[in-house]
Amino acid sequence: MEDPDAPLVARARRGDRWAFEQLVERHQHRLFTLAARTLGSADDAADAVQEAFIRAWLGLPRFRGGSLFSTWLYRIGLNAAHDQRAKRRTEPLDEVREPADPKDAFIASELSTSLQAALNELDEDYRVAVVLFDVLGCSYSEISALTEVPEGTVKSRIFRGRRQLAGLLGTRTAEE
Amino acid sequence: MVAGTHPDDIDLFDYVEEDLPQPRRAEIQAHLSACSVCSEQVSRVEAGRDALRGAQFMHLPERRGEAIFMNLPTQVREPRRRRALTPKQLIAVLTPVIAVAAVIGVLVNTNSNSGSSSAAGETSGGGAAGTRSGANPEAAQAATLFAGGTATDVAAELRRKGFRADVQRDQVVVKGATQKQVREALADRGAGDVQIVVKGR
Repeated sequence: MEDPDAPLVARARRGDRWAFEQLVERHQHRLFTLAARTLGSADDAADAVQEAFIRAWLGLPRFRGGSLFSTWLYRIGLNAAHDQRAKRRTEPLDEVREPADPKDAFIASELSTSLQAALNELDEDYRVAVVLFDVLGCSYSEISALTEVPEGTVKSRIFRGRRQLAGLLGTRTAEE
Repeated sequence: MVAGTHPDDIDLFDYVEEDLPQPRRAEIQAHLSACSVCSEQVSRVEAGRDALRGAQFMHLPERRGEAIFMNLPTQVREPRRRRALTPKQLIAVLTPVIAVAAVIGVLVNTNSNSGSSSAAGETSGGGAAGTRSGANPEAAQAATLFAGGTATDVAAELRRKGFRADVQRDQVVVKGATQKQVREALADRGAGDVQIVVKGR
């Protein structure tokens, strides 16, 4: 499959910051959605995204194009989100700030929905699978490459993730 | 599908996603109409899918996007890796190196022999023309021998024997010959003070 990012990636690999900035512009919101939906926190997600892009920039000279750039980048993003979650477990929570920007308020409200609360309770493998498939629209093969499991396992995780999520949402609705 | 057995997760998933070929889809549908466990699962999975597909896409706050650009460090270029040489390539590279080293070794050996002769003071080869170095700058590049008699006689003898020999400032300068050839040519002359400078080819 031809990678639509290939020309920019080739330039960025040679140290062209402008080309890398175009790649950031192109992928930052999808990567942020992935991080925010899997972490359940806008601040942590933004930190993970920033960290992911820095790792990607530094790692680009070693990127050989064996997968799509987006797949490689999202894998870095998931690792950064995983690290962010581990870091959060060992650090006290920051004081919650009032969002200054209306867009931030939108993100905050999105992350406080019952759907996000249910997502936060899903097993991590299921959460990643359903967010990639149902929220971001990734293909089975992309998710398989990203999570390094066979496509059959990807389907099984999406199936179980959706089922578990519906159960959690049902429970919450019943509780409310 | 055997009657009474449930389809697996992947079959049910493909059914929900409408990815099954028609005959298989019909089989699953027949099973679901008779199996409340599986039909309940399918309903839940469809509800989960609908909830997730209603989830909003989010935008990274602008200031956090700008922070990415501001915090990009200098990219470190990876040094190009050289491929290891095959045995054939290794031989091809090493052969000329070894040959050059051998020639240098021979030359150094010859010069050090010359040096030791001069350190001994006089002759080598049983009274034949001896070798010294350091008498003048030319000696560093040209071998210098010593023989008995006068410079004119030595030059004349060498010319008779086919050498290009001239007397220059009381020295005999021999061109186009080796030290060994000159020494052999003057073997009968014995030790002396006539300086013979041999300039190679």
